[in-house]
Amino acid sequence: MKNCYLGIDIGSISTKGVIIDENNNIIKSEYIWTEANPIKAVKKLIENLKNNLDKNIVIKGIGTTGSARKLIGLLLDANVIKNEITAHAVGTLNFYPECKTILEIGGQDSKIILINNGIITDYAMNTLCAAGTGAFLSSQAKRLKIKIEDFGKLALKSNNPVKIAARCTVFAESDLVHKAQLGYKIEDIVAGLSKSIVLNYLNNVGKGKKIKPPIVFQGGVSKNIGVVKYFKEILKEDIIVDSNSHLMGAIGIAILAKNKNNKIYDLNIKDIKFETKGMECNKCPNNCEILKIYKDEKLIDAFGSKCNREIKN
Amino acid sequence: MAKIKIGIPRSLFYYYYKDIWKYFFDEFNIELIISPPTNKTIMENGIKFSIDEMCVSMKNYIGHVYYLLDKCDYILIPRISNYGNDNQTCTNFLATYDIINNIFDTKILNYNINLENNETEEKGLIKIVTDFGYSKEYAKKAYKNAIKKVKQKNDKLIKDNIKKLDSEKTKILLIGHPYNLYDNLIGKEIIKYIELNDTEIIYSDLFHKDITNTLSKKLSYSLYFKYNKENIGSIPLVEDKIDGIIFISTFPCSPDSLVNELMFRKLKKPYLNLIIDDLNSMTGIETRIESFIDIIKGGVINE
Repeated sequence: MKNCYLGIDIGSISTKGVIIDENNNIIKSEYIWTEANPIKAVKKLIENLKNNLDKNIVIKGIGTTGSARKLIGLLLDANVIKNEITAHAVGTLNFYPECKTILEIGGQDSKIILINNGIITDYAMNTLCAAGTGAFLSSQAKRLKIKIEDFGKLALKSNNPVKIAARCTVFAESDLVHKAQLGYKIEDIVAGLSKSIVLNYLNNVGKGKKIKPPIVFQGGVSKNIGVVKYFKEILKEDIIVDSNSHLMGAIGIAILAKNKNNKIYDLNIKDIKFETKGMECNKCPNNCEILKIYKDEKLIDAFGSKCNREIKN
Repeated sequence: MAKIKIGIPRSLFYYYYKDIWKYFFDEFNIELIISPPTNKTIMENGIKFSIDEMCVSMKNYIGHVYYLLDKCDYILIPRISNYGNDNQTCTNFLATYDIINNIFDTKILNYNINLENNETEEKGLIKIVTDFGYSKEYAKKAYKNAIKKVKQKNDKLIKDNIKKLDSEKTKILLIGHPYNLYDNLIGKEIIKYIELNDTEIIYSDLFHKDITNTLSKKLSYSLYFKYNKENIGSIPLVEDKIDGIIFISTFPCSPDSLVNELMFRKLKKPYLNLIIDDLNSMTGIETRIESFIDIIKGGVINE
């Protein structure tokens, strides 16, 4: 028998899962789109992970992180549910114990984590605005009719990136349309966009933070070689992008789950019916928006209530 | 004679003056009608009647006034200008009376606090009750008694707050205006969540105001916002005994945006700044608080 641990990072755009062993080696990993349905995505993810998995492996701990961590943690009965900042730092430090700065750009949010001697000392996250995140890049790629996978390669072809406003995506988009109509080459526009992502990140999330090497760049956008190039150029430092950079959150939470293991999980969730129902409670003037979660038609939990009123079916 | 009903909105001034009002007006044939803890309906009404540029707390206040309109004879709204030259208050505290007077057609009881002009709380409150026909001597005595009771109550709260500094748990100094911290919709959920993470909260407003006011000079000599000085004065008082500081303010608060930003440059302890607007999702706030507490507990990574 081999004890293993499952870490799941459910982001706004993609869902990531890894199985690690006692020594933090990755046994299996999976990366799929969330498609705004975290429950369905996690069911699919677990089926994929179970496929061809060594029969000797027993899952002794499950951790969830990412924006849907609470919901999925409840469904899987996870033993650790933690925020993505801690999870990312733990995952990254496992591979790069010397790391001092983590840059992370995901689908909807971006963060910077500063580390000193293996302890997080500071972090920042984007606030209301999703400017300069993966969602913006992919919507612009769609507008330009480019596959997001080819985006980085195309950016590298350019020698003369166009200047695009780096503060706000609304202005960035109108800049982009304007430059396209003037007749700039598509690779220059794509390169300009990649550069604007970097500038936006450094001006918003990275504002006032001392970025010290070694720097590790991760999150979905780290797969974009154009963005990596401009980070290197602007920070004048080497940027480390791990081949598993998109999985760091999931690995981190799996490691945290390992340290708290206590039971055996069977991972048979495919046939269990999970359902969520949103409702507005009108019992007091707060009108709380309540989300009720059903497992096989039995209410197991509810989120969103401001008071302790018992919520029934 | 039927009791006079005075309405008190449970926002802004309420959190500074609730005790003195209660103990003072209790001595007369006056009933205080206090609006309920903020709920969504109150906040939504507040937003409806205010202009966009007002801060969330002010919008909230307007919602509370709206709630009280048909439930009382008068609404009590002081006009607070300053407590002396270097103790000014936020312009909202000065302007609320006139703002409400312009928005709603209602009877307002008003007194001024403007120490530069020798207008005190005592004079103001006594004038209100003498206008209702009570004698000046009786009113003076009532005020004196009320002040004594307020002091007793505050001393106890302060003692309890200071006692928390001996706690074994992770200690967090929470800095914010009481009308945000204790508001049912703005601060309560946040405080609940911080406590859930096995921490002890020390409140910046539960210290002797004259001590914190003076101590704030250690951090800045030139600040003149009374309420902010009292909040940040708690930092030099307890910084050695706490693990981290959380600032809570509402958007867009002008004294906070200046003073808190200045503090960030002078702090020795880790801090987290939370700015609340009228969004109603806690998810983002929970992520930030949880990771901040992970950091100050420091042990998560090496567990």
